[in-house]
Amino acid sequence: MSKIVGTAVSRKDGLAKVTGQATYAAEHQLPGLVYGYVVTATIANGQIQAIDTEAAEQSPGVIAVFTHNNVPKIFKPSNDFRKSKIYEARLPLSDAQVHYAGQIIGLVVANTFEQARDAAQRVKVDYTVQAPTIAAKDAVFKPAPSMFGEDMTFQTGKFTSGDFSAAMAGAAATMTATYHTSTELHAPMEPHATIAHWQGTDTLTIYEPTQWVMGTQRTYAELFGLPSEKVRVVSPFLGGGFGSKAFPWPHGILAAAAARQLQRPVKLVLSRRQMTANTGHRSETEQTVRLAAMADGTLTAISHTAKSCTSPVESFPEPCTGITPVMYTTPNLYTSQELAVMNVGTPTFMRAPGENPGMWALESAMDELAWQLKLDPVALRLKNQTEKHQRKGLPFSAKHFSDCLQVGAERFGWQNRSITPRSLTQEGKLVGWGMAAATFPAMRGVASVKVRLLPDGTAHILTSGNDMGTGAYTMVAVTAAETLGIPVEQVRVEMGDSQLPDGGLAGGSQMTASLAPAVIQACREVLKSVNCTTATAACAALQQSGRAAIEATATTAPGAEMKQWAFQSWGAHFCEVTVDEEIGRLRVTRWVAVMDVGQVINAKTAASQVRGGVIMGIGQALMEECHFDPNTGYPVVYDLATYHFPAHADIPRIEVIFVGEPDLNFNPAGARGVGEIGITGVSAAVANAVYHATGKRFRHLPLTPDKLMAS
Amino acid sequence: MKNFAYVRTSSVSEAVQQASSQPNAMFIAGGTNLVDRMKAFLDQPTQLIDITRLDMTRIESSRDGMRIGALVSNTAVADHPEIRRNYPMVSRAILLGASQQIRNVATVGGNLLQRTRCPYYYDTAFACNKRQPGSGCAALTGINRMHALFGASDQCIAVHPSDMCVPLAALDAIVEVEGSQGKRQIPFTEFHRLPENTPQRDSNLEPGELITAIVLPSLPFAQSSVYLKLRDRASYAFALVSVAAAIEVASDRKIQAARLAMGGVAHKPWRLTTAEQFLIGKPAQAETFQQAAEIAMQAAQPLSDNRFKVGLGQRAIRRALTIAANGGGVA
Repeated sequence: MSKIVGTAVSRKDGLAKVTGQATYAAEHQLPGLVYGYVVTATIANGQIQAIDTEAAEQSPGVIAVFTHNNVPKIFKPSNDFRKSKIYEARLPLSDAQVHYAGQIIGLVVANTFEQARDAAQRVKVDYTVQAPTIAAKDAVFKPAPSMFGEDMTFQTGKFTSGDFSAAMAGAAATMTATYHTSTELHAPMEPHATIAHWQGTDTLTIYEPTQWVMGTQRTYAELFGLPSEKVRVVSPFLGGGFGSKAFPWPHGILAAAAARQLQRPVKLVLSRRQMTANTGHRSETEQTVRLAAMADGTLTAISHTAKSCTSPVESFPEPCTGITPVMYTTPNLYTSQELAVMNVGTPTFMRAPGENPGMWALESAMDELAWQLKLDPVALRLKNQTEKHQRKGLPFSAKHFSDCLQVGAERFGWQNRSITPRSLTQEGKLVGWGMAAATFPAMRGVASVKVRLLPDGTAHILTSGNDMGTGAYTMVAVTAAETLGIPVEQVRVEMGDSQLPDGGLAGGSQMTASLAPAVIQACREVLKSVNCTTATAACAALQQSGRAAIEATATTAPGAEMKQWAFQSWGAHFCEVTVDEEIGRLRVTRWVAVMDVGQVINAKTAASQVRGGVIMGIGQALMEECHFDPNTGYPVVYDLATYHFPAHADIPRIEVIFVGEPDLNFNPAGARGVGEIGITGVSAAVANAVYHATGKRFRHLPLTPDKLMAS
Repeated sequence: MKNFAYVRTSSVSEAVQQASSQPNAMFIAGGTNLVDRMKAFLDQPTQLIDITRLDMTRIESSRDGMRIGALVSNTAVADHPEIRRNYPMVSRAILLGASQQIRNVATVGGNLLQRTRCPYYYDTAFACNKRQPGSGCAALTGINRMHALFGASDQCIAVHPSDMCVPLAALDAIVEVEGSQGKRQIPFTEFHRLPENTPQRDSNLEPGELITAIVLPSLPFAQSSVYLKLRDRASYAFALVSVAAAIEVASDRKIQAARLAMGGVAHKPWRLTTAEQFLIGKPAQAETFQQAAEIAMQAAQPLSDNRFKVGLGQRAIRRALTIAANGGGVA
């Protein structure tokens, strides 16, 4: 049997997806299904003085209207991120307070979607209005609170070593600059949707796209005062989550509460418009980076401070400074973060939360320093890379950052670059080359997988861990096929159902690193249980025995290695842009991304994930921006035509190269996972290329024509 | 729920009669904008009159120009060999708008009647005089980066979203309409309205009138015409500014005739007649185009967020004229 791991395998679920056979949450058909439509606030700060639901209740087909005056009982969950987690700490409809425009203030349930939507327009609300805080410049910033609990990556964003100020004062060269990113929306293709189906009042089935099946199960159980086993969560497919589909949002909680009270299955799908306020975003950020260096480029001090905003109902600092102690070595390091509360919807995890905006600032600053010192930015990074995680004090395992930089430079032809801005032109346009580093921590969680080997030679792999659309089905099949010694086609994978063994969270780019070791172990245990080394032999034994299947369930978890090593993935982006300065037209024309992610399990889907990350990064660099209306605080985008992310015409061919080695210190698969790393550094690489093209440094994303047109 | 009746008609006169018998009836063809608006509660017709079976699907050429039936799809216009040859700015403008799927369904008549994509119009949470006369204009003090530079009022600062209409204004196209009072022809530049105190009215169509065809007059120098669209991404975005330009340059490099119109800057496709007149008799060179661009943008009245469009508009005009003077091509 040829080695399968690391080859390019097409998606197991690809055919089902392109033929419409993959059933997404909102597509489940249940007898007696009724439809919910939410009523949203039109002010950003104040109280509901009166809410008149009479006209809505009398509308055709309406079954019930829920507001804070008659919301069914919902329990506060422990919300500690381990046992349970909801995106907004405040429970929906818990009082008359309005914290942001678009907040859900009611739910209409009717026989059809159209009836519910129509009736929702008939709910009349009187408010007492207070002046909202909409703009960061008007907000009060305070030190960021602790976020994920003590042993997780981001605590408060504060870290100090050495004496930053003294190092700055005595430095041969210093660089200080402030960088901005704009509010960005997750905008997944699949809208947020929940179907809640109760069997009696104590057994609940939830159809909801979720990145964390078991966490969502436990959370709904706590919300409705049930033991976990009384809740089933079904989530075999996600149409994109990007961090916005890990925990219940208010709409899902309300759908379940209404369904319990009405004893009817309720489907609630949010509109694109409603998603802008009710399913998260990435906060705008303002980051200041200060660097001190010797004339040869050796960094002597780094300071990175960041500000971001959150909503009144949840504390979420965008953890920008987590990457700073990871990237470059320096004896004097200072990071801190501040957070302000504004009357906007709740921000949350989005596409490399923290790492992405953090790398935008740090990698832009490194480029500025390189120009200032007349050094090759690749050489500046090679010179300053760190062999240890400076906050954890641990050495990195299997780090091949240099290879990323060197292979990328060679592949791109970086040695041929012109070292003067504005020196390259093509058909009247300025041409620029830029590069930036990429990084993302390698995370891994506890995961359980069941393997069943059948007499016909097929293997079934079962886990609640799910596929966000990134290729987990195929990754699991490839890993099992390799371990069992059977073709991928003989592996059937079932995922995304809480009735299956707990496969952990699809977030923090950890699903592969969590699941692959459990798949390997469960496959090995299956073989061992019949004293075989191959699946063929095991099948022969199985046929002889007359049993229906050989089964094993394995649970794997990170261990002592986490105290010995820091695990981190690395990368480098190289790109070319053209700038038609007269009309402010920027195009990205070439891209090379080189990634060190440990063992690549499936070369095809792994490269696709990196490409997806680069595309999202180009979106952030060029166009993604959600404006809030300065008067009402309501997002002034309402669909995928008004919230711009890249169209095909914005994206060049993206070459993806993997380097490095299996990180066997991390797990037996050697895989650190792919996921989010692709987006980190992308926007900096673009802005660095734009500097090379135009001689102008842009520090405020996105780089829209109004900013780019030469003055 | 606002239910509506649906009728399919088989002749123009029947359609027009049907429309005039129902005060809240609306014609539907491609429906690419109307259906969206109905879902957003912006239009609540009591009756939809399906006109897709009417005999308005031909493109005819004659010595005087071309006549495009109102039901011809945007794609069919853009791909038509004679339109590509004789009016490249029309073909180009269509291809730079919407998406292939939308263009396949959207009709020429419907393109004229699409309504602004001002986000304040689309969401009933905001005040909008176009949606609800007298309620105010939230965009005035809101995010108005995409809004008008010319011809706006304190009632409405929205812009007309069409790309196709910009070259049609430059060409002095004719809109043929039919109503219960009979047929009439409306010059293209008089078809759409400025907002003034009635922003709820986008065009000068009378209630019940149906667009039956668009006539493109013959204009030989339009063969080197140009449509330049500047926007926030490379595809599937409305214009920040756009320019349709055609100029006729004599052998002595003097400009004989010029047509110039802008999109994304007004409540209607914005014809730049003063700049056109300025160009005539001047040498076709950079300074001339720069001066014309400055003249064109002189009357611009920028809002809080769209001042950049004045400069961007000038550059777009300069660029479009330069390309047109050099024989045209993709801008």
